[in-house]
Amino acid sequence: MRKLVLGLVLAAAVAALIAVAATRGGGPKAASASSHREAPLISQDPTADNTDLYAFVSPDKPDTATLIANWIPGEDPAAGPNYYTFSSTARYDIYVDQNGDGKPDISYQFRFKNLPSQFFLGNTQQSYTVTKTVGKKTTTVGSGLLTPPDNIGPRSTPNYSALAAQGIHQLSDGTTVFAGQRDDPFFADVGAIFDLVAIREGTGATGGGKDFLAGYGVHSIALQIPKSQLDNGTNHTIGVWAATDRRVAAVTERRKSASAKDGYGNGGWRQVSRLGNPLINEVIIPTNLKDKWNASSPANDKQFETYYQNPILATVLQKLYPQFGPFQDTNRQDLVDVLGTGLKLPMLNFTGPTFADELRLNLSVPPTAFDKIKPLGVIGGDLAGYPNGRRLEDDVIDISERVVGGALIGHSLPLGDGVDANDQPNLHVFPYVPAPFSGFANTKGVTSPTHP
Amino acid sequence: MARRLLIAGIAAASAAAILALGGLWHRTPAPATASDVLPTAVAAELQKGFAAGDTEAEVSGLQAELRANPKNVKALDTLGLADEQRVRETGDATYYTKAEGILREALSLEPRDLIATAGLGQLALSRHRFRLALALGRRAHAISPTTAGVYGVIGDAELELGRYAKAFKAFDRMAAMKPDVSSYARVSYARELLGHIPAAERAMSLAASAAVGEREASSWTHTQLGLLYLGHGRPRPALDQLELAVDLAPTYYFALDGMAQVQTSLGHLWEAIGYERRAVDRVPLPQQVGLLGDLYRAVGDRVDAQRRYALIGVIERVLAANGVKNDLDIALFDADHGIALTHALELARKGYVDRPSVFGDDVLAWTLARNGQCRAGLPYSERSLRLGTQDALKFFHRGWIAACLGDKRGAAEWYRRALALNPHFSVLWSSVAAKGAHR
Repeated sequence: MRKLVLGLVLAAAVAALIAVAATRGGGPKAASASSHREAPLISQDPTADNTDLYAFVSPDKPDTATLIANWIPGEDPAAGPNYYTFSSTARYDIYVDQNGDGKPDISYQFRFKNLPSQFFLGNTQQSYTVTKTVGKKTTTVGSGLLTPPDNIGPRSTPNYSALAAQGIHQLSDGTTVFAGQRDDPFFADVGAIFDLVAIREGTGATGGGKDFLAGYGVHSIALQIPKSQLDNGTNHTIGVWAATDRRVAAVTERRKSASAKDGYGNGGWRQVSRLGNPLINEVIIPTNLKDKWNASSPANDKQFETYYQNPILATVLQKLYPQFGPFQDTNRQDLVDVLGTGLKLPMLNFTGPTFADELRLNLSVPPTAFDKIKPLGVIGGDLAGYPNGRRLEDDVIDISERVVGGALIGHSLPLGDGVDANDQPNLHVFPYVPAPFSGFANTKGVTSPTHP
Repeated sequence: MARRLLIAGIAAASAAAILALGGLWHRTPAPATASDVLPTAVAAELQKGFAAGDTEAEVSGLQAELRANPKNVKALDTLGLADEQRVRETGDATYYTKAEGILREALSLEPRDLIATAGLGQLALSRHRFRLALALGRRAHAISPTTAGVYGVIGDAELELGRYAKAFKAFDRMAAMKPDVSSYARVSYARELLGHIPAAERAMSLAASAAVGEREASSWTHTQLGLLYLGHGRPRPALDQLELAVDLAPTYYFALDGMAQVQTSLGHLWEAIGYERRAVDRVPLPQQVGLLGDLYRAVGDRVDAQRRYALIGVIERVLAANGVKNDLDIALFDADHGIALTHALELARKGYVDRPSVFGDDVLAWTLARNGQCRAGLPYSERSLRLGTQDALKFFHRGWIAACLGDKRGAAEWYRRALALNPHFSVLWSSVAAKGAHR
């Protein structure tokens, strides 16, 4: 659930900030009262926040599929001492549904541990354990694995690419894994989208957008899995989603069987964030239901179908851009299909009648070579891209705006945000996501001296 | 500069303050000393806020959006919440007034808007208007029973209204729905009130872990964890937490004040004064200005102590002008310092009606006792401990009332319990407890 609003409109606001600071003097200043305990009410919980999910047949190893899930939006490379790590108290999940019922058939779960003195020394390297559940059988497929440290700079973390490469491990089931900091491969004109889906020029497909995620990092978990472990042998289509869980803590509900002597043992896990298709939490799910959606499983997504059927984004597009309309904002069976069950026409990744928000990947579609990838994916004629899985190169903002605009129901418009690719070249080998910017070399806030 | 802002603010706020407080306000601050109390904080820095580029930048971007689209409810919602967050970060209560106007505007455009309703509920909590907060929390719940935050508004309000079973149930609902820093912190506080300290520490550790990446929330949770350790006999781990909290946010008044409390307990009074001055230079919060005065008094500097005490009334007026109810806090300060005790009791009784919590019980008990009405105070003091809370100051008040009623042995026992939790629990009263404990 990438939060498009908070924290990511910084660049646009700098000029306004200066103006505001200059004009807002005076006024009564005093402190808040404090005898009542004011715990925060709204939390972003960035270490539990799923930002993006990718699933594709590996172009360089077509007998494998790669799943990449990202967390922690807007990691500022120069934000020390607040260095970024996975949360040691959360559980990170990647789920695979092989039969289209919205329930996981294969689950990968990750638990991270901070190394001793991690917080005080600014050491961001963590160790982690991977467990895999197939059906009801759970096995530990990797333990004591290490993430690379964050990319601090050439003195703290020299030769970062080599350092990061040491973070690629083999799991006991033949899967390759990487977990650690990476460049945020998502690209989007967040500032303009937040500004009521403003399209900067014309219909937006002529460039000129600003990639607000350029220079920011995320934490990635990447898996490269032999296709033989995923393929169901019939429609060859898997549904993928990622999630984060935290432990419930309670006041009154003390558990008799709990480990702690005082009866306040560890509570069970509760899912606090999930992500299948991109932009769903931001664009489709209404505010009042966001917590519920994030705690739900795709198997129970029927209750949210109406918001896919009648997307608010189409209403907004109609209001803002009547000259490109009409935009149909009701009865959008095309959106229900493409996001909830997979595409039937053409028969690409349909998984059956169960409506479930998953990223669906037909493993039998051969991958497109890196230099031939079309970022518009299926609507651009490239069947190996979104919404058949999702590659790092896929321009999901443009695709989503066009599909919501009616691309699948005969209303094709070259809509978009004018940002068509990541600011960093993606790697052509696992883990594909480029290295993060270092705190030392970060590109943001670079200024020229005004005096000698 | 903060002092200029404060003085400028007083002019603007006075009229409203007089209206708000009626004729009840008697204390006269000494203007000659108020002017050089808050020397260093610069207006621009205060404006820039606590973590430059965080909330302030959001606020600016949202203001630009609203100039273009004044009816954008989402932007109004976000701006209202950002202004509330700015009070958390900077302590500047004028943002309460701004937030209220913005969220009311959002509600006028969209009467069933969840964010604006819950946001106004949170605002009412911040202003200690707990019945209003409860009504808003319930309205938010009717709009969205599956949003965890509305249980936070309801639970906080129930808690301050003294209805603990309901409050804890709300916190349990919240934490089961969405375990995160907000719900963990509330669960921790409830366990602390119940006297279940290791369990409270574990929940606050979870909160700190879930706050990673959010600077204010991180520093806040580590401060709270440190204060938990400090209040329960563990000053060294408390120091570790406060060092972390101050490292995370070196200008955060809440962490600086927490560090001052830890330094006080370690007997480092001058270090404590240094931290509390830094806190107060950022934000003149009444309790902190009061503690700074007490610290100066403790090291024998009566002039500096009086300067701080004189400022408190001024700050309280600004708070009142921004809608904050502080009767209990003022009563506690006055009772502690022997100021206008009859008036303090009036305030305590008035505050108790608004806030019949264990805090209300304790303040009313203490104010009654300081007015010589120890027998009337006793049941309130007993009520203040009814949850099993392990709180040195409440134990001390209970002991003081026992002594006042002639029960020296009972008093000594309560004093020993207070000192066992924290031998330096109060700059003003620890030594009184230490003397009384040996009878």
